[in-house]
Amino acid sequence: MPTREKIRQFIMNELVADGSGSELSDTVLLIDSGVIDSLGIMSLLGFLEENFSIQISGEDLVPDNFATISTISDFVAQKSL
Amino acid sequence: MDFELTDEQKVWKETIIKFSRQELAYDIAAVEKSGEFPWDAWRKCAEMQILAMPFAEEYGGCGVDFLTTVHSLNSLGYACKDAGLVHALTTQILCGLQIALFGNEALKLRYLPSLCRGEKVFAQAITEPGSGSDALSMRTKAEKQGEAFILNGSKTFITNGPMADVVIVFAVTAPEKKTLGGISCLVVEDGMEGFSKGKPLEKMGLTTLQNGELFFDNCEVSCDRLLGKEGQGAIIFNESMEWERSLLPAVHLGTMERILEISVKYAKERSAFGKAIGNYQAVANKISRMKMNIELGKGILYRCASLKGRNKRAPLDASICKLFISESLKQACLDAVQIHGGYGFMCEYEIERDLRDSIASTIYSGTSELQHNIIARFMGL
Repeated sequence: MPTREKIRQFIMNELVADGSGSELSDTVLLIDSGVIDSLGIMSLLGFLEENFSIQISGEDLVPDNFATISTISDFVAQKSL
Repeated sequence: MDFELTDEQKVWKETIIKFSRQELAYDIAAVEKSGEFPWDAWRKCAEMQILAMPFAEEYGGCGVDFLTTVHSLNSLGYACKDAGLVHALTTQILCGLQIALFGNEALKLRYLPSLCRGEKVFAQAITEPGSGSDALSMRTKAEKQGEAFILNGSKTFITNGPMADVVIVFAVTAPEKKTLGGISCLVVEDGMEGFSKGKPLEKMGLTTLQNGELFFDNCEVSCDRLLGKEGQGAIIFNESMEWERSLLPAVHLGTMERILEISVKYAKERSAFGKAIGNYQAVANKISRMKMNIELGKGILYRCASLKGRNKRAPLDASICKLFISESLKQACLDAVQIHGGYGFMCEYEIERDLRDSIASTIYSGTSELQHNIIARFMGL
């Protein structure tokens, strides 16, 4: 499964509050819309590190990197280089 | 994971226990009554390099790994009966970790050496009168104006606050954003215009620890005092909680080990109805529960500290660790008082102080209720 879809599936299954099946587009603002909150970001970081074998710390830990599925996907790709 | 103590860890533990028994065996009740902070003990701990342990040598630290730091604090919690002092030291180390992990080079060079030497006292200011467990709903604001932030608001219950020289202040910098991107950390120093500190608040336990209110009234903080990046505050908060929820339980576990020793000794020596009270199951079961919780606590603590020491993420482990060990400590103290009967209730035996101190452990660094919430979220609830 492509990285972007893996991330989307995780967010849909684990972070969307009511578990509703509505689609999340690549550009939906996940933090501003409340999909990712202060607890949700911890789950997301753990998922990204475990599934893509990357380490996220220090300067990488900025909200901009996790704003949308698109930015998360780009961030993972950059960290995986 | 293999948690057999290394030679270095054994040396640190033995040294700290010996040091505590020789240098920190002061009359805590007298210090409590005086309302003063035990400065002499603080300086001795600084000379022992307890505050410097986990920090890099180029910043004045010892360069010791995190698990060894945790083992050492565990020994301090075991051998030093002044939980207020140990909590103040742990808070200082935590502030240093925040600076070491998120500060730029200038901030590290400016603050870490004096932090390690204990010359300056550090505090982190998160809690406000209207936001405790829901810490990120804070109202203290930092409005950017040119090259500075103008800080307004107040904080409360801040550990080391009344005596702090340097405070890491969490404040809202972008109210229009959700908390995750709207909070930032600023490093404020005592003496800056618009910053003032309240008197120490009276508490039921941790009496020698200084907790108080901090006030910010148009306090101008230059942008070079930003810890991390603008909007990174909530993430720094989350990250630092993982470290904190290893450091504090390490101390608590040490205290539990001391409580267990005292209880076993008393249960063997005290007789009732012709035999030692430890022979009665009602007493023995309380002691066996202490032992069981200590061993289980070691497992989750060492796992958590080991993960953090390897810069791994451990939010779930840290919450379980904090919740389990703090609640176990409170129960152990209650049981120890009960085992000692009337003597346990008397100040002379000092167990009542451990009980009073233990109550706070289930409140600070996120209440037990909050830890349950976090664990439940990780279970997908």
